[in-house]
Amino acid sequence: MIQHIDVHAVLQESVPGGGSYADLVTRPTGRVVRERIERAIAAGDVAVARMDFTGVGCIDYSCADEIVAKLLRGRPAVLVLSGISDAHREAIEPVLAGHGLAALIEGAGGALETLGAPEAAAVLLEELVARRLAARTPGGTFALTLA
Amino acid sequence: MTRLVEVPAQFDDRSFDQFAGSFVAATDDGERLLFDAHAAEWASPYGLVGLLAAGQAARHGADKPLLTAPTQAEVLSYWARAGFFREAAELFEIHGRVPKVKAQDESDVLLPVTPVRAAEDVHAVVSKIQQRASAILASELGLDPKATMGFAMALSEACQNIVEHAGTGGWVAVQAYSWRRKLARRVVVIAVADAGVGFRHSLEPTQSKRFGARWGDAAALEAALIQGVSRFRDPGRGQGLAGIRRYLTRWDGKIAIRSGTARIAIVPKWDDDVPLKDGLPSFPGAQVLIIIPEQGSTKP
Repeated sequence: MIQHIDVHAVLQESVPGGGSYADLVTRPTGRVVRERIERAIAAGDVAVARMDFTGVGCIDYSCADEIVAKLLRGRPAVLVLSGISDAHREAIEPVLAGHGLAALIEGAGGALETLGAPEAAAVLLEELVARRLAARTPGGTFALTLA
Repeated sequence: MTRLVEVPAQFDDRSFDQFAGSFVAATDDGERLLFDAHAAEWASPYGLVGLLAAGQAARHGADKPLLTAPTQAEVLSYWARAGFFREAAELFEIHGRVPKVKAQDESDVLLPVTPVRAAEDVHAVVSKIQQRASAILASELGLDPKATMGFAMALSEACQNIVEHAGTGGWVAVQAYSWRRKLARRVVVIAVADAGVGFRHSLEPTQSKRFGARWGDAAALEAALIQGVSRFRDPGRGQGLAGIRRYLTRWDGKIAIRSGTARIAIVPKWDDDVPLKDGLPSFPGAQVLIIIPEQGSTKP
């Protein structure tokens, strides 16, 4: 199954007084948010975790590492990032590339693109197709097969 | 007995070593210090947060160091508007007339002198700067509006160095001003200072063996800024300064970090600073300066 994770909502629940913050900054914040996401994924039979960053303002490099890179290394599920802005991408991309990791980004139309180290991205897409979690669309892009 | 520490009339990163030298000379016998800023004519955000760090380091027990406030009304007014006295009141016994002006979010003071002690403070700083900086970065510095978020990231990482490595609190200030001396154009400056343990002490357990006899403040700064190493063994660490460097490379900016007896800088073409200085007067903690210039021609 695909689990939808509203990252902004997790942030609100994670930070003391989090209702007033929209930014994923600092390692302690990243750690708490990641641990909540890990628990949410572990609670179900999750093949794909769709992490929706809509509503998240700034992400700094520390949080990008603490949340996205560490979740990818732990591999609790296939991670698909959605609601990603250019600024989010700027923070996450170099962190993943530095680790030789890659993540998937799902655009508004459902098309998947990769972010991070190119070699890891190619392996990730191959794996998704092999597991029938994603397939090539008539337009030539990739999309998730699960709703 | 009170020892005098003279605050330079033009107090910025260039005159900071002179200030640190005066600080070192005055602290060798543990007497109470008097920071004399009465003749101050101008102070950059770096000077202001550096002076607070000195006040933090100079406190012994209940005895606060003394501070004579600037006598020039407009200097005094600026220091107040920049939020300096609000923080200084906790650290110094202040002599002289201090105007009862609240720190203001004026167009040039993007972030008044703000204490950073915990992760929550970094959240507050990042939240505030995004509200304030967006228009200035885009309209006055000609940065792509997308660069605002990168600016907030850089600021966040600079502040986190205090929280994660200093072992004490520190301060941050952000200001936009016209930098006539170097560029004849607008710049935005981030200044961060603390009087904590400094880079050498923070990195010593994991890095000193690797550097051997070369180990010291300069080597520690080189390891942190150039090689991106961290005191933590977690492979994801060290992202912060590397991220700041990437951002500054893209926008032709500068970073300089002073810690202990050394200072390291990533020097853009428009500046004539030296990449690494060692053997400077020892000053506690770390002081970070980030400068982002107005975009366009930045010929020196």
